[in-house]
Amino acid sequence: MDNKKVYILPCSGIGKVFGSIGREAAYIVVEELAKDKAKIECLPLIVKGKKEIIEILKANKVIVIDGCPMQCSYNDVIKAVGKVDAQFMSTDVVKECRNLKPESQIIPIGENAKKLSRILAEKIALKVNELMEENQGGGK
Amino acid sequence: MSIKPKIGIIACSGENKIGGTLSRAAARIVVEKLRPDNTIILCQPLFMAGGLERHGGQEERDFAKTHPTITIEGCEEECAKIAVSNYSGPPAATIYVEEIMKKYPELQPKSKRELGVNGMKLAEKIAEEIAKKVDELYNK
Repeated sequence: MDNKKVYILPCSGIGKVFGSIGREAAYIVVEELAKDKAKIECLPLIVKGKKEIIEILKANKVIVIDGCPMQCSYNDVIKAVGKVDAQFMSTDVVKECRNLKPESQIIPIGENAKKLSRILAEKIALKVNELMEENQGGGK
Repeated sequence: MSIKPKIGIIACSGENKIGGTLSRAAARIVVEKLRPDNTIILCQPLFMAGGLERHGGQEERDFAKTHPTITIEGCEEECAKIAVSNYSGPPAATIYVEEIMKKYPELQPKSKRELGVNGMKLAEKIAEEIAKKVDELYNK
């Protein structure tokens, strides 16, 4: 049985709502849309250098979700793991859906932010499927 | 009248345990509701590594070098404390969320994704302890 998963690392930043949209999207993917295929992993532990987690990420596909142009999750994962298989920016979804202005509140996030999270999650779930196919086909 | 410098609050951005979610919720409560005039949120992902080639994280690190900073730890790994110690010097104080959780066994959060009513009550309790520490540092 192939135990490969797609690991998702949201930045989970709390300076602005965009980090929270990415985080909520990650949970929608791992708990609803791609339940048996994807798993969330902890970004600070990777930055801290937790070897067992870094080894798992090296051996599996990794998706990062960032909430601002600083791209913390992308930069942190590249530095610690050496690769990222796909990157999503929550701000891209916000730009695409001008009718859903996200509320500034972060905990809990507002209704528009939730809707944006789900739209982002649907895109991420498609990528999870693609990456799983690559896993099964022994692709890149 | 002298103007006192703000106190930095840096919460765990982890997703491995419920403590990460609680630490972020509590940090937001302190900064938005309990001590809005005396505190500022520092974004942990940005602090750790994000956008360093553009000096993004440097601003957070410099703030923590020159201002008292409280780290909020979601688990025993102490990622926020280690990050602050590595890049800015020892934090002024560290709050351990799991220790406070033990004091309120009746307040069980719903999940990592969504704290729920009891989880938010627990976050308020954690925020009150952080606010006490803010007052101690502010009045030193």
